[in-house]
Amino acid sequence: MATPGLSTRTAYLFVAPCAAVFAVFTVWPMLYNGWLAFQDYFVAERAAAWNDFANFVLLAESPRFHVALRNSLLMLLTVPAIQAGGMGLALLVHRPLAGVTVFRAIYYLPVVITISIAGIVWRYVFHYDGVLNWALVTLGVMPQGAGPQWLSQPGWALFAVMAFSFWKYVGYYMVLYLVGLAAVPRELTEAAVLDGAGPWARFRHVTWPLLAPVTVLCTLLATIGALKTFQEVLVLTGGESDSGTTLLFVYQSAFFGFNFGVAGAAALLFTLLCLGIAAVQLRLLGRHNPFARGQ
Amino acid sequence: MMQRWPVVCARYAGMALFAMFTLFPFLWALSVGLSTDPSGIWHFPAAFVPVEPGAYWFKRVFAEMPFLRYVGNSLLLSALTVAGVLALTVPCGYALAQLRFPGRRVLFGAMLLTLTLPSEVAIVPNFVTISRLGLVDSHLGVVLPNLASAFGVFLMKQSFEQLPAEVIDAARVDGAGEWQVLLRVAAPLNLPAIGTLAIFTLVTAWNDYLWPAVVLTTRTRLPISVGVFNDLTGPFAVSTSLVMAAVVMAVVPVIVLFALTQRFFLAPQALPMRG
Repeated sequence: MATPGLSTRTAYLFVAPCAAVFAVFTVWPMLYNGWLAFQDYFVAERAAAWNDFANFVLLAESPRFHVALRNSLLMLLTVPAIQAGGMGLALLVHRPLAGVTVFRAIYYLPVVITISIAGIVWRYVFHYDGVLNWALVTLGVMPQGAGPQWLSQPGWALFAVMAFSFWKYVGYYMVLYLVGLAAVPRELTEAAVLDGAGPWARFRHVTWPLLAPVTVLCTLLATIGALKTFQEVLVLTGGESDSGTTLLFVYQSAFFGFNFGVAGAAALLFTLLCLGIAAVQLRLLGRHNPFARGQ
Repeated sequence: MMQRWPVVCARYAGMALFAMFTLFPFLWALSVGLSTDPSGIWHFPAAFVPVEPGAYWFKRVFAEMPFLRYVGNSLLLSALTVAGVLALTVPCGYALAQLRFPGRRVLFGAMLLTLTLPSEVAIVPNFVTISRLGLVDSHLGVVLPNLASAFGVFLMKQSFEQLPAEVIDAARVDGAGEWQVLLRVAAPLNLPAIGTLAIFTLVTAWNDYLWPAVVLTTRTRLPISVGVFNDLTGPFAVSTSLVMAAVVMAVVPVIVLFALTQRFFLAPQALPMRG
């Protein structure tokens, strides 16, 4: 190690630009939300006045905020679906078989496709005359012409957002499970085969327990992902027909309602909710915590 | 382990079925875009096969929207973001991994903490900051908040820690300053991780939708993710065929980039957060 004093100065020079941008655009916003939450702040006037808990009272009394919060929590229903889908896909493509790498790439493709562009196509999928209603009629699920207006009918619009989220992100979890499967020692599965274990028994008693760390990590990531659902709503339904989520509420309060105080209060509550859930899950993760050690 | 052929067939069937689910929206878009005659769009399953295939609607895209302008803006924004992220996170990650200084644990801890928080809660405060800086409707205003990537610092720190200490110490003994050690020795040895970060940043920046949509107002400054979306969901969305052709054209650059770099995404040492 070089001379301590000199080294420290150089280290700060290395870190300072990054830390400065980080402080201004990541840390400061958290504090600013906390301040905004207690202000009457309208952008046009650029004037702020302390208003105690008025913004929170407003939120408590706002039916739109209740629906948004409920929808953010309902989005958690996608977590088990995405876990099952991701793990299933990983099991399907992890063994060498001609062409599996192509299938892996195909399943991952939605993750890298621009969300706004994907949203446009899915608007047509969910169209009254679109693919989804056609498929449901063809499969005999419902008679011709009985299909719902998926994106504009209350009760269905959030389902559309969920289906879109599943399509968009399941490939991401497939890759994480593939990493986990790669760590399952071959000898263990082969030993189980010699012991006469069928495919289900092998999965239940060998693969599944060994995938536990990845499963916990994936659940954490998917939970945060589901809670922060926002752009998915924006590009699919625009938040109409009861499909708005908490972050959409924040966005609309600020940029359409021009009430930054209410937006700040909602953002603060939401940040605390996410922090709480992440803290609980990180505790459950224990030694599987991916952030606790270098991998 | 040998597999019997019914098992192999079942696996191929499963893989193909899910591939259909993944691809059908874009296959439909491609088919509709290629069909010169737009009347069969809503007739299934016929709509999945182009009628009188031709490039008519694809050419119309250039007439209906400043498509190349959007592409140019996306290229510029992505290039600026990649350059900025590397310039900031490579020295920062290196210092966190190889140098000892007061405050490094706090700094790294704060960055890790924000990885578990949705960055979207920052859009309102950041919009206030950007407007105070007079950067609304500028490309700099789009790029600036994305430069200090917590994921980038995390990845750089982890990878610089893997470098053998002897190599770095040897360079120091030879009289190299820390900048020289970083630029001549450590960074070149860490190129795989730096490349991974560059590619992830490139794709994320190219796909960024929300923040550019908030910051930018002038149509000719929009990146493809915002411009195409606005045009296709607004009053210009007169023809479904045109929409589908434009969608296909907007997706092609991403698919090409992904095809060239998929090994970074599919064999990850460290994946960034989803979405």
